[in-house]
Amino acid sequence: MTLSKWLLFKIALRSLLLQASWNYRGMMSMGFLYSIAPGLDYIYENQNAREMAYMRHFEYFNTNPYFSSIVMGVTLALEEKYKNGEKVVDPEMIHNTKEALMTSLAAIGDGLFWDSWRPFVATFSIIFATANYSLTPFVFLILYNLPHLYFRFAGIYWGYEDGMNVIRRLKQFKFPQIRQTLRMGTLVLLAYLIPNHVNIHTPYLLSNLKYEYYLYGEKVVQGLCALTLVTLGTFAYREKVNVLLISFLLLIFALVFYHWGIFI
Amino acid sequence: MEHLNVSLIVALIGGIVDLDSTAVVQCMISQPIVAAPLTGLILGAMLGNYIVGLRLGLMVGVILQLVWIEQLPLGMNVPPDAALASVLSVALGFCAGFDYINEYSKREVCYTVALLVSVALGLLGRSLDMFVRRINTNIDSIVNQKIEDNNFSSIRIGHLSGGVIIFVKAFIFCFLVIWFGVEPVKYFTQMMSMTQSGGFIVVQGLLPAVGFSVLASMCLKDKTEIKYFVGGILIFTLFPQNILIPIIASVMVMVSYYFKKDKKPKKGKK
Repeated sequence: MTLSKWLLFKIALRSLLLQASWNYRGMMSMGFLYSIAPGLDYIYENQNAREMAYMRHFEYFNTNPYFSSIVMGVTLALEEKYKNGEKVVDPEMIHNTKEALMTSLAAIGDGLFWDSWRPFVATFSIIFATANYSLTPFVFLILYNLPHLYFRFAGIYWGYEDGMNVIRRLKQFKFPQIRQTLRMGTLVLLAYLIPNHVNIHTPYLLSNLKYEYYLYGEKVVQGLCALTLVTLGTFAYREKVNVLLISFLLLIFALVFYHWGIFI
Repeated sequence: MEHLNVSLIVALIGGIVDLDSTAVVQCMISQPIVAAPLTGLILGAMLGNYIVGLRLGLMVGVILQLVWIEQLPLGMNVPPDAALASVLSVALGFCAGFDYINEYSKREVCYTVALLVSVALGLLGRSLDMFVRRINTNIDSIVNQKIEDNNFSSIRIGHLSGGVIIFVKAFIFCFLVIWFGVEPVKYFTQMMSMTQSGGFIVVQGLLPAVGFSVLASMCLKDKTEIKYFVGGILIFTLFPQNILIPIIASVMVMVSYYFKKDKKPKKGKK
């Protein structure tokens, strides 16, 4: 293990540009090679061996960007073993390990970050936005990036130190359980947003209410109307109706109901 | 001159924000809930009314964040460009509505029209993203050729040029939309009568329902969850409006759910 912590940190920093040249052929191939290039330069002093290593890693690569540094760490650890002449490590083994890791980490990372963490943090921030809290963007940025930066910068050390055993370390996080928990949290926040932040006002059902109950009555009517509207929207979306079409139908519906005086 | 300055600033914001959406860092300043309020704040500070800008940004951010929340950048899938849609929605709405700063209904119509237009622009942005990725594919082939010729510096140049292309694409796109788009939005608003304007304000109030539907559809998995969810909505309907209530409730549910699920596999093993 000869790569310094500073060099690994530099590679993790370069991984921030992983997707700059995302393309349909190699996807993140250039980004991956660009990121690990300082590591390869350090491991292979011999020009020919270095060029061979560059050629090996200019290949298809696609994973979750936040977990990419883990693959980079593992790859560099294997390259180092290969250079030192360890028998079990050869270019094909490095390729297969990289491919297996990038696929599994893509599934874990996409599920965790895109499918669970982002919706949760977004809904959490929306709660603040609806209260016109001016620091809402920073609430989102700070909360979202804590695990992002943690995995990105700690990941390269885990990958380099643990090698292929890094999966064992990741298993300790219980990602499926965390995802389910975040989904529940998102639902609770959403249950608050629906009755309070879909603004439906109608003069019906309220005309006979006494003044002291009027505001409360309006809130109940608004909540029930919002629930109905969201139920219809959810049903339509699950039936694969395009979100633009749903928005357009809502526009027509709102204008017609406003014209008839049902909505005010 | 002021319109040129505003167009350039919006183009710059668009370029930076679009870089974040895939190419650089991905710390999510490209998310609508961040990009829209920041655009509103910057434009508001520039034109002397940052509170109006920020509020518009928050309103747009909430709606666009939810509408495309299920569109994920997985594999070959290119999601609609929510980052550019947010920046353009706020910029178009704010610039067009600036002349009606004291006319509530006209101003709100500008915001709503800009929001609806920006959804279409987000889809156009996706097509531009796909175009950029095709250019990157050609760069990738050139770099491949250069590597075979032992020219390894081409990796750095080829890779970073991808980021430059994304920035230039977003910059030009945002500049053109703001340069040519503000007047049509204003014209559309002027054409509207007071009654029609009221209709658009109602639409603005209902639009979050679309985003909430998308998020509910994404999160709800079975009938039991739906029952609890509807129950939760009814309870929150009766509760007073206070952001601390859902935050505390959410934390409590998550803690209890996490530890409840933790115990189940152990029971199974016994």
